[in-house]
Amino acid sequence: MPALMMPAVGGELVVFGFASLLTLAFALLMLVQKTPVRSVLSLVVTFFGLSVLAILLAAPFIAALQIFVYAGAILVLFLFVIMLLNLEEEAADKDDRPVQRTLGLLVALALGGLLAGATLRAPLPPRGAPTSARIPMPDEIPALGRLLFSDYLLAFEVLSLLLLVAAVGALLLSKRRFE
Amino acid sequence: MSPALAAALEGAAKIAFVWGVVLGAVLPNLIWVERRMAGLIQDRPGPNRVGPFGLFQAIADILKMFMKEDVVPMYADRLLHTIAPLILLVPAMATFAVIPFGSSLHLFDRDIPLVIADVNIGILYVFALTSIGIYGLVLAGWASNNKFALLGGLRSSAQVISYELAMGIAAIAVFLAAGSLRLTRVVEYQASGTFLGFLPLWNCFPQALGCMIFVVSAFAETNRLPFDLPEAEAELVAGYHTEYSAFRFGMFFMAEYLNLIAASAMMATLYFGGWSLPGLHLTGFVGSLVSIAVFAAKTGFFIFLFVWVRWTLPRFRFDQLMNLGWKVFLPLSLLNLIATGALVLWGVI
Repeated sequence: MPALMMPAVGGELVVFGFASLLTLAFALLMLVQKTPVRSVLSLVVTFFGLSVLAILLAAPFIAALQIFVYAGAILVLFLFVIMLLNLEEEAADKDDRPVQRTLGLLVALALGGLLAGATLRAPLPPRGAPTSARIPMPDEIPALGRLLFSDYLLAFEVLSLLLLVAAVGALLLSKRRFE
Repeated sequence: MSPALAAALEGAAKIAFVWGVVLGAVLPNLIWVERRMAGLIQDRPGPNRVGPFGLFQAIADILKMFMKEDVVPMYADRLLHTIAPLILLVPAMATFAVIPFGSSLHLFDRDIPLVIADVNIGILYVFALTSIGIYGLVLAGWASNNKFALLGGLRSSAQVISYELAMGIAAIAVFLAAGSLRLTRVVEYQASGTFLGFLPLWNCFPQALGCMIFVVSAFAETNRLPFDLPEAEAELVAGYHTEYSAFRFGMFFMAEYLNLIAASAMMATLYFGGWSLPGLHLTGFVGSLVSIAVFAAKTGFFIFLFVWVRWTLPRFRFDQLMNLGWKVFLPLSLLNLIATGALVLWGVI
């Protein structure tokens, strides 16, 4: 069965395997790493793996955004804050928040179950379906833009409003502290 | 010869050509030009002893870096301290892949477009690589375990993120006009007509504001004076590379110059018509060679501009830098975007 789910044979399979392995390995490394700076760096490598997967799906635009926005901007801010606070190694775990810990575990399990269920139920691609190497690469960016500003206009605007509210809120909080 | 093999050979030849020219010719001469120009501007001869006019000074400089002792501080994070210069250098070398350096060359019955990879995400690729380069600076600062280096790294991350925003929005206007993110398409668009009937359709004319923002932001992105706060030697010893010596320092040095060359090439491509020249149809074998020369001349001018500004303007203060980025350039770049949108809508450009 797993052989059916693989996108293609040969080089593509190798790249897919390598990128997924890299993504998973560094995601795990991010969790177990004690030094916060190294955790962030592991996450950067994870995002690289994800963007390689996006390229395999013939979506270079998504791949570039993944690097530009996540690895290039958001994680640099993470790094900035960690360095600014000069966080050292995490102290050894003392379990002083049992309720939060249990709740977090439950939510993680529920989310993982949902994801696994959805993946298992998804229909398998038919044999001989066109793989990314055989799909002619369309100019995806205009198509994406049109979709965002027609079918998904409401979701798009609501999201941008949400980001704006978050920015204003952060500003307000930091201002109050200084006054 | 199979088409796949021919394509692979063609790609390898172009990569060899671009890296050969950049690393073998532009980089060493740039070191020489920078030092001699500094001398000229400061009314002294500059290095003039190694070879004729001191032309081999760069070789002496590079050899010196190889020979020096490589010191790693005792309390440094060894792994990150080692890979930080590489994180900066590799993206700097990869940027050149998407920049079109000439029209197409007809050789061996093939039309060879003079760009290594004509990808449809063009400038996003460049921005993505630039944003990865920041990690090199930040990590160098953090891994050295030195307060000056840490401050330099902090400054660089804040600075590059702030200016990337204005630079990105200025660049969006370029793609609004050209209708594509492909850099080859941007050059074709600029070669395709005139602006107001008498000017070439170079983006620097209809988008003069965006061009100015892009050029100034490029100084901040490449950590050049007047925005070299991450290594401000008057306050931070040498900033993020305080604890680097010998060839690891050499890698920072090289990456800075490579970024400078790439930024100059981007300015020429996005705003000054790339390899095109108004009134000239650069086709055929000679035409394509001329187009390479035109592109080299435009890029060379901006490289010269970087050197010129470095030895002319004093350094900004950090709060001035942040104010300029967020309160002046960001609103202005949005204004430029709206104005360009209006010009496109009304069919002026």
